[in-house]
Amino acid sequence: MKNFRMIPFQYFNAYTNMALDEAIMEGVRNGISQPTIRFYGWEPSAVSIGVFQGVKNEVNLETTKKDGVDVVRRLTGGGAVYHDKFGEVTYSLIAPLDFFPTNIIESYRVICDDIVFALQQLGIHATFAPINDILVNEQKISGNAQTRRNGILLQHGTILYSVDVETMFSLLNVSDQKISDKLIKSVQKRVTSIKDQTGASMNALKDALIQGFQRNRNVDFGDYSDIEKQRAQELVDERFNNDSWTFRL
Amino acid sequence: MFTVLYIHQKAKMKTNTITRKFGKLLRLDVTFDEHIEHLKITGDFFLHPEDTLEKIVSELTNIALPFIKEDLIMKVQILLKENGAELIGITAEDIINLLEEAVQ
Repeated sequence: MKNFRMIPFQYFNAYTNMALDEAIMEGVRNGISQPTIRFYGWEPSAVSIGVFQGVKNEVNLETTKKDGVDVVRRLTGGGAVYHDKFGEVTYSLIAPLDFFPTNIIESYRVICDDIVFALQQLGIHATFAPINDILVNEQKISGNAQTRRNGILLQHGTILYSVDVETMFSLLNVSDQKISDKLIKSVQKRVTSIKDQTGASMNALKDALIQGFQRNRNVDFGDYSDIEKQRAQELVDERFNNDSWTFRL
Repeated sequence: MFTVLYIHQKAKMKTNTITRKFGKLLRLDVTFDEHIEHLKITGDFFLHPEDTLEKIVSELTNIALPFIKEDLIMKVQILLKENGAELIGITAEDIINLLEEAVQ
């Protein structure tokens, strides 16, 4: 099995983050990119929506515009996510499909187990909860999403470092319910973060994730190639920062 | 005269939006009269490959109402199989059951 390229944490805007995933998928398929694990943040903070979600149903577009929060439609299914610039680490893993179990839930499990291992290094006992979550005492700490196309698997997900539920609710439309203190408290009970669980720093989380993802793989540390960056910019223009994609549903 | 007929037909159209939590959330926006004029399927479910959703929508648009639920479930299941597609978080039955509810 080929070595993975591991790209340490960097910040990009939402469109570039999603475009880099697709550019690397294309590169792996064409044999010009290594299978890749990348870590990244979102600058500015952003909302990503699932590929099958209606943007107007899910996102308070007035508030995102007013607050300078980007809105991007992902390639993957799943729900709307608020990506706070300082509140999370996001990862993407891109590799040929045959590196992972054919069964979709099992492939989620294999990758999520690396995150579970990373959290253990920080003293947090977490478990994979199918379909696509990682929980600590029934509280969500990580959400993940997958797509498979042209023989390539992409799984990306977030690990929450800190949670700002009030900001999240100001940016996301909560279905048919008024945002009440009661609702905010209810979500606070269902979601947790590294900061809630332990005193670990953001850098400790990043280091633990590197350990987790390389424990069962051979890894070369690297960076994005010029070809990938150029293709990503094309994909930003054609797709991810384009209303025809964002507003298609 | 054609314009008047068109407006009259449009006036008979009903629209409905219905959202239900299965394993994942499914939302249908339907416009219909004696057939399904327009259908939008959204939600936080997963479907691999993703472009199969457009084929499901196309399969269900323009069908006459009322429909036989079992036939439509089978149509969607066959379409999924033909495309090597897998729905996660909702099923073909969930889509058709919710569609039946939406057009009642």
